Amino acid sequence: MTWGVENATVVFGARTALANVSLRAVPSTVSIVVGGDGAGKSTLLRALVGLVRLTSGIGQRPAKQEIGYVPATAGLYVDLTVDENVAFSAAAYGLRGPELAKRSKALLERIGIAGVRGRLVGQLSGGMQRKLAVGMALLHRPAMLVLDEPTTGVDPVSRAELWRLIAGAAAEGSAVVVATTYVDEAHRASAVVLLEQGRSIATGSPSDIMAAVPGAFGVVASGEQPQGLSWRWGTTWRVWAPTRELPTGATPLQPDFEDAVMIAALADEQQRWADDGAR
Amino acid sequence: MTVLAETRDVTMRFGEFTAVDCVSIAVSAGEVVGLLGANGAGKTTVIRLLLGLVRPSHGRVSLFGAAPSMSTRRRLGYVPQTLGLYDDLTVEENWTFTASAFGTAHLAVPPSIGTTRNQLVGTLPLGVQRRVAFAVAFSHEPELLVLDEPTSGVGPLNRARLWQDIRGSAEHGTGVLVTTHNMEEAEQCDRLVVMAGGRVVAQGTVAAVIGDRQVVEVSCKGWQQAFSILDAEGLVVQVHGDALRVPASREDVERLLERHGLRGDVRTVPANLEEAFVSIVSAGAAR
Amino acid sequence: MRAMIVKEFRQLKRDRRTLALLIVLPVLLLVVFGYAARFDVSKVTTVVVGPDAATVARDLPAPFDVVEIDPAGDRSQAASRIQDGSAVVGVVTGGTQIVALLDGTQLFAVQAAESTLARMAQETRTVGSATPPVSVQILYNPNLTTAWIMIPGLTGLILLFIGTLITSLGIVRERQTGTIEQLAVMPFKPWDVIFGKIIPYLLLAALDLVAIVVIGMVLFGVPFVGNVATFAVGALLFLLVTLGMGVLVSTVSQNQGQAIQLAIMFVVPQILLSGLIFPVSSMAGGVQWIAYVLPLKYFIDISRGVMLKATPLTALWGPLVVLAGMAVVVLGLAVLRFRRDLAPSARREGAAAEPGVPEAAA
Repeated sequence: MTWGVENATVVFGARTALANVSLRAVPSTVSIVVGGDGAGKSTLLRALVGLVRLTSGIGQRPAKQEIGYVPATAGLYVDLTVDENVAFSAAAYGLRGPELAKRSKALLERIGIAGVRGRLVGQLSGGMQRKLAVGMALLHRPAMLVLDEPTTGVDPVSRAELWRLIAGAAAEGSAVVVATTYVDEAHRASAVVLLEQGRSIATGSPSDIMAAVPGAFGVVASGEQPQGLSWRWGTTWRVWAPTRELPTGATPLQPDFEDAVMIAALADEQQRWADDGAR
Repeated sequence: MTVLAETRDVTMRFGEFTAVDCVSIAVSAGEVVGLLGANGAGKTTVIRLLLGLVRPSHGRVSLFGAAPSMSTRRRLGYVPQTLGLYDDLTVEENWTFTASAFGTAHLAVPPSIGTTRNQLVGTLPLGVQRRVAFAVAFSHEPELLVLDEPTSGVGPLNRARLWQDIRGSAEHGTGVLVTTHNMEEAEQCDRLVVMAGGRVVAQGTVAAVIGDRQVVEVSCKGWQQAFSILDAEGLVVQVHGDALRVPASREDVERLLERHGLRGDVRTVPANLEEAFVSIVSAGAAR
Repeated sequence: MRAMIVKEFRQLKRDRRTLALLIVLPVLLLVVFGYAARFDVSKVTTVVVGPDAATVARDLPAPFDVVEIDPAGDRSQAASRIQDGSAVVGVVTGGTQIVALLDGTQLFAVQAAESTLARMAQETRTVGSATPPVSVQILYNPNLTTAWIMIPGLTGLILLFIGTLITSLGIVRERQTGTIEQLAVMPFKPWDVIFGKIIPYLLLAALDLVAIVVIGMVLFGVPFVGNVATFAVGALLFLLVTLGMGVLVSTVSQNQGQAIQLAIMFVVPQILLSGLIFPVSSMAGGVQWIAYVLPLKYFIDISRGVMLKATPLTALWGPLVVLAGMAVVVLGLAVLRFRRDLAPSARREGAAAEPGVPEAAA
């Protein structure tokens, strides 16, 4: 079975939230959707789970029973305890009895909140809440797990633990799709979709994307902004020459993944300006 | 380099709870300092101490050479994580409001955000909002800038541009203190201060913080199986594409894999900043 | 400081809900206290029965408004007209004295009637006419106790608060925490969610209702002489209207503040203009129609009728039908809109802006 969306377009009134985006959710793998605010990540994930209808394109997903979803706002009941939240979710997905007790105990211990099962969720730290939300979503072993920005605003330690949970779900067979604004997290995926203003401007595995960078790339030590397309990195300038040679003073460099993403975004912006100019 | 703000052996207690324990940090002119730490590590309290919003239980806080006071507010710029902008006012109206408060109303809206001057802030994408917030905080040319998670949620282009603004202000002579959860962002700072449990657990450049920490990288066919094995042992395994990275010794990892009949390429590699952070903080917690 | 003032005004001019409140509320209060807040009654609906009906009717001055003259009728006919609410005063002629039956649930009408009758008696004594003396009997609330009138109305108020305000807050809270999205993806049917949300408030309201009625009966001696089933049906229909309103308010509100503003705009006019405090018949003609579009008015008719006068179901079918109609319309609309939140639709504006940085608990 192949789940995901193909050539998905979603239009809200006058605004095109997604334009011709394809994403496959493959079992036992993690796919990551990267983009800034407003890029269309949430819309793509919502289309994937069926919260949003496609204006055009095809979408395929498993039954509701087989989906686990955590929206960007975590979707937990802050005025219920940890146990009550788990009970509600379990009841909704038909998990009961000893199977439920065993799995929820193991999960809560793994997350590290086994000792505070009776505490109100609203009193847990942000990192704990996120871990609980993700844990609850994979309690029923969903065939497809979709997480919208699970690590945004979360401290690095909780983030590492979250990713361990997420990878665990993929290791158990789920097709996992995660949206994030942190470009460095995209390393963890076997497939990446880079979104910018509703369009996908780069797809493939991280190594594919790095290899696909056209033209020349280099670094200039601190000083004036060099000619051409460049951006600041620490005290240096990174410069990209798509069709020409690198400017003088630039040392050639192999672009890493973050560079490749930046280049894709720049290329897209150049294209947009050219299109706007031509109109 | 002039030290603009510093705390010396500062401790802050709220009743029974020690939020900040014997912390000494300094921000000098022209440098970008990154403050890294979990929520509850004390970052917010340190910032509030530096801004003069609270007084320490012990120790000394100095801002521009003296204790923080109302007059030093003018020399300071602060952007909270929630931006401190009014969603229902335009960019220009926000600028005018802040400028009136600081007495710089005669200044024009800077070109970096000029094109958006008549748009309601609430309608702008987050990346642009953050640039507006930065410009507004920088409007009165403060000597010290404190930015709370300045590029959280922002896309790559706007993030790079905002960092260009930040770096530009540092080259102008401003001292910048940035709090962040984003490793990519932390790597752009001149110096890092890592906090955990109210204490400073590491300080220095990125390379210094990572030190010579190492992790083991495992590449084998079908990472899922290897993952399950290592994960079951309680190791914090991270998946990167098709490879696994785990903070353990090569011998242990090889032994575990062999026991389950798995064969793969096991190598020791330097840790990245995130792995170093987790290791530092966990060690701190274990103490 | 000037900058603060300028900023506040700029923000206010863009805040439509607060502006609406700023304008609507004074207008409402003006209307109420200008036209509706009257205790003086200009027309008292009267029926006259008995052999001398025609003569007596002619002699009855304002405010008595004779709507029926029935020479063949007797006291029981007059009493039943009062019971079903079609008349406030029933004058029974043909006995040793003329008997005026007054509806004790219409406090101000009764006071107007009594004072007029007293004036007439005075005039008779001074002028000396042939009109025999009138004996006054107040039915259903012989001591004209205000509490007896207010408490049945209060039950409606409670149902209104719980149904509209509290229900809308409960649903909007879910919208704010993002749990509604979760519900939409979970294997729930939209009906499970909608009724699962409404039923607790329905039960709570029913409990509150019973409590108020019992307290009213025990503490204030308010009678409950009518049919409990009729009362229950009326309460249920009214509750469905208010719950529907609560759900509707929640579908157009993004946060609890907005929900409260809207709910207030729906509840306050009903408190003032539905006949709870000021009698509907006293409202000036131009504004009296407002009462007839407010659901609370119909419930007050039902609750006062059943509790105090044992008005039968047959006489109350009017208000019951109106409430049923309102329930169907409001609840239907509410459910349609709420379904849109729970089922996929390409026209959702809920995703207009990407969620920025979600609040992380400190």
